[in-house]
Amino acid sequence: MSAALRYGLLSAGRRRRALVLPGLTVAAGAFLLVLVVALMPAVRRAGAAFGDAAAVGRATLVISAIVVLLGVLEVAITATRSIVQRVREIGVLCTFGVPPRSVVCALLVEPVLTAALGALAGASAGAVVAVAGTGAGLIDASVAAGTVAAGWGAAVALSTVAALAVSAAPAWRAVRRPPLASLTS
Amino acid sequence: MVQAAEAAIAAGQRVSPAAGGTFLRLLRFALANIRRQPERSGFAVAGIALAIAAVVVVRTIAAGYQVSGVDALDSAIGGAPFWVVPEGGVRFDPQAGTIATDAAPPGVAAPAGWATTTVLAGALPGRADVGLHGVTGAATGTAGVTDLAVRRLGLRPGDTLTVGGTPLTATRVAGAGALVVVPLAVAAAAGLTAGWLTLAPPAGQDGTPEQVASATGLRVVSDPAQRPASGSRGLVYQTTGGTSRAALLDFRQKFAAVFGGKVASSILGLVAQVGLVLGFVLAVTSFAAAVHERRREFGIMASIGLTDEVLYFFLVESAVVFIAAYLLGAGLGGLVVALALPSFFSLGSWLSAAGLVATYVPALAIVAALVPVHRLLQQRPVALLAET
Repeated sequence: MSAALRYGLLSAGRRRRALVLPGLTVAAGAFLLVLVVALMPAVRRAGAAFGDAAAVGRATLVISAIVVLLGVLEVAITATRSIVQRVREIGVLCTFGVPPRSVVCALLVEPVLTAALGALAGASAGAVVAVAGTGAGLIDASVAAGTVAAGWGAAVALSTVAALAVSAAPAWRAVRRPPLASLTS
Repeated sequence: MVQAAEAAIAAGQRVSPAAGGTFLRLLRFALANIRRQPERSGFAVAGIALAIAAVVVVRTIAAGYQVSGVDALDSAIGGAPFWVVPEGGVRFDPQAGTIATDAAPPGVAAPAGWATTTVLAGALPGRADVGLHGVTGAATGTAGVTDLAVRRLGLRPGDTLTVGGTPLTATRVAGAGALVVVPLAVAAAAGLTAGWLTLAPPAGQDGTPEQVASATGLRVVSDPAQRPASGSRGLVYQTTGGTSRAALLDFRQKFAAVFGGKVASSILGLVAQVGLVLGFVLAVTSFAAAVHERRREFGIMASIGLTDEVLYFFLVESAVVFIAAYLLGAGLGGLVVALALPSFFSLGSWLSAAGLVATYVPALAIVAALVPVHRLLQQRPVALLAET
């Protein structure tokens, strides 16, 4: 399994330029989620003007999570593109008797790593902006360190787990193809 | 031409050359291509649908807020053509769902012969969630109570409601929000001091803004986004541009736009806009991937002069993806508001939000298909046919 992960890392390194856009998309979603969680008191205050502070707070949180998922779907689309480009390589691996589970692991390294690194960068940037903005008086809300940490953890966990879940299906489908079909496609 | 293109593409398309119009052929071709990469097509539809759902949620909230604001406006001014508000302007009280203000009505004179109605506005003593309006000419001995106020106060028709020490018989009145309408003196006795005036010309006459400005000494505007200047005695809103129905609707629409703008420019609105941008990027990425994988097919088509058809294929494919995403996203957005934010949901608000989003989805679909295809068509056919 560690060999599969190393192989996946090597492949991801080769395609790192193609992973910049999906990584940035995930980062944007994670950044927003952390910022919204940190600024929830201010969001609720604004929501009170619309008649239901708690509901507006919930809606903002749900929409921020949707933005994170959009980034994850961008990663998944890039993963499907990568799988299509590497279909002969997958055929070769299967022909040589590499277990399907190992091939799937190798294919999943790229999307999971992209989502995790993007989320880490975006969530960290969001946390820094929230704390620094409050310290500088630019953000009119008290930001609790615990809340920021919770938002950071939620953004990273949601991005990574969702990327794993949505990228597994195309990877598994590619591995299940007969090797001959993959080699001649 | 399309038949020739179909024949040129790789095996596995399974597009039957059955009879049918060009559009139907393009549609079948698009569906076959969508089925080629089911996961990616599914991800694209899901992503665009999520982005659309986010916008529909925000727009539904905004539409509900707009309706509340306009209904409250109708209750506040009762169709009067001129509305004189004090310094600081008026605001929407979200708890009661009524228009409120913090300053006393401006002490101004109306043009000769005009009817002046003074309204004192505030909250019912002891109940922040029920508004109280004292109105010149309201029936003595009675309190007009809206349906929402009846529910919140637990009243029944004919019950006695004591306001400012005066017992009043509760009678139902039409109106927005939770509002109790009493005679002016009763509201003053209850401690209300803030309010506004409405001015109406004599029956059969059209009042002009110049007449009002001359008599009151205040600025007359027709844009509800404008607020009274600091240090001024107030401002007059012209709620009609004359006697036409269209002009009256125009002021109400502007008033609604002010409310909707507040939601759109809130953090909630900004996050949804970011979501829409990311959804568009996702669609472009998905189409770019499809274009890249099929560049040799398109190279064959371009080499036999079917360049335009390449564009049509992608436009129809994009239309199918965006229509599916729109239906899914609009439904999902409505479901989220109905289940998680029921206080904002109404069928009218959701339909209005879904309709608004529908106006710009076609543009997104066209641009999302054009961007990658345009890049493809810039290349020579021989370059497209080369192994990559």
